[in-house]
Amino acid sequence: MVATTEAAGCPFTGKGGPILETGSLIDPEISARPKAYYDAMRADDPIHLDPKLGMYLVSRFDDIQSIQRDPITFSVYEGYNAQYAKGYFEEFKQILERDGGGYFPDAIMSDPPYHTRIRKLMDNAFSAHRVRELEPRISEIVVDVLEGMADKGQVDVVKAFSVPVTIRVICEQLGIAQYNADNIQRWSLAVTAQIGRMQNREQMIENAKGLCELQHFLIAQIRDRQDHPKEDMISDLVHARTDDQAEPTLTFKEVVSLVRALMIAGNETTATAMTNMFYILATQPKVAEILKRSADDDRLLSRFVEELLRIEPPVRGLSRMTTKEVEVGGKLLPKGAHLLLMYASANDQEDVFPCPREFDMERSNLGRHVAFGGGPHRCIGLSLARMEIRVAAREVIRRLDHFKLDIPVEEIRYLPTVATHSIEKLPVSFSRRV
Amino acid sequence: MSALEVTFVEEDGTVRTVAADAGQTLMEAGKGNGVVGILADCGGSCACATCHVYVDADWLEAVGAPDDVEAEMLDMVSDVRRDTSRLACQIRLTDRLNGLRVAVAPYA
Repeated sequence: MVATTEAAGCPFTGKGGPILETGSLIDPEISARPKAYYDAMRADDPIHLDPKLGMYLVSRFDDIQSIQRDPITFSVYEGYNAQYAKGYFEEFKQILERDGGGYFPDAIMSDPPYHTRIRKLMDNAFSAHRVRELEPRISEIVVDVLEGMADKGQVDVVKAFSVPVTIRVICEQLGIAQYNADNIQRWSLAVTAQIGRMQNREQMIENAKGLCELQHFLIAQIRDRQDHPKEDMISDLVHARTDDQAEPTLTFKEVVSLVRALMIAGNETTATAMTNMFYILATQPKVAEILKRSADDDRLLSRFVEELLRIEPPVRGLSRMTTKEVEVGGKLLPKGAHLLLMYASANDQEDVFPCPREFDMERSNLGRHVAFGGGPHRCIGLSLARMEIRVAAREVIRRLDHFKLDIPVEEIRYLPTVATHSIEKLPVSFSRRV
Repeated sequence: MSALEVTFVEEDGTVRTVAADAGQTLMEAGKGNGVVGILADCGGSCACATCHVYVDADWLEAVGAPDDVEAEMLDMVSDVRRDTSRLACQIRLTDRLNGLRVAVAPYA
């Protein structure tokens, strides 16, 4: 029998096999190169209990969609808390209470109706139209960083481009003028490691220290805006008013958690997407060639960004927990089942995205990918992220040419975490475009 | 506030006429009344195409065309996009749109 993938002229992606019985998402090799594992799950066991991780991995597009659309049965609050600093939570919390100004649970990682109140306060700040107004300033930042590296010929794009650009953009939006970018990157990784499930106790203590520093830094900013409001997102949150008569303002704890979430989500994941962009440019010359002809074509650039997010979603797995016994994808899950929604797997599903490993900017259903999640928890910063990546693509392609990876693909290292798929370091060489 | 009526035809053909207020968006009127298929994941910020509707031909002129931010979003669902496509979150209801009729576009 001919596999449908071959019949359709796509490279065969592989199916099933013993990897499910022997492997786990927290095995470093599978974590770094998970495609075969995802393929096997979708084919043989779409809601797969990973015993090492102690979670059900949800791998198929439709199941992920229906879970996201039912935030009451599938609780983000329960799922996130079960994931957070797992194995060390009490100790982690004590460190933050003792040395970090307090423990501030993530207000946005909650369930309706509480979540709806928080979310409404933040939606307007991130509308596609408001973000459009930021484009000129984002372009200036991108161009400034690019001009600093264009003549170097070879850089680690994570350090030279992705991280500095995204940190500058989010700090400006938050209204933070003075900062140390290395610290912010270190703090960001310390925060995301808490849902990564791959830190040991020593690393947890180190990360908790980083989080304490981050909180002191942000609390000083928040205190300043309480007395001296400015035109920035921290001021917006500090002085936000809801239509809820009983609780018209955010509490201090909520403000700290939200500013922290904006800071972290606003740089780590978008930086990863920018690094992935260089990876595509350096490994797929055909895509680079199309982009070179299209730097002024907004439609094509938008499609490039969306396909980049589909094919390499920076966030690959976020959690939920069932609040009752429920059947999903033919499997009966007990109450309290801890789930990980595998966005990267859904984006790779052949009957939704034909030839999923092909970078195809002309897909007619590009907007259906789940790189931003979906349902009421869909990424709130998606318009800002898209804008940053689109501007980055446009300015990079205008200025640079002849992209080449300076390490073999199989030597690329990824951060140890189940939550994201983030390249640690990507040495790329290039020339200035003439 | 004036009371308006707008009509959604859901994907399975169910016709739902709902009350709305001027100043609301069509998405808010649909979602608030439980119209099937008006998901509005992004909360009405023109960033997700989960409140996609087809405007009835008679109402096209009154509703108007999408701006370029909205058009870009619609391009991401070009498999189901039509000339009459709009995102309901970008249609602000006014007295002039009393009686508006749209069909809910398929999503996932």
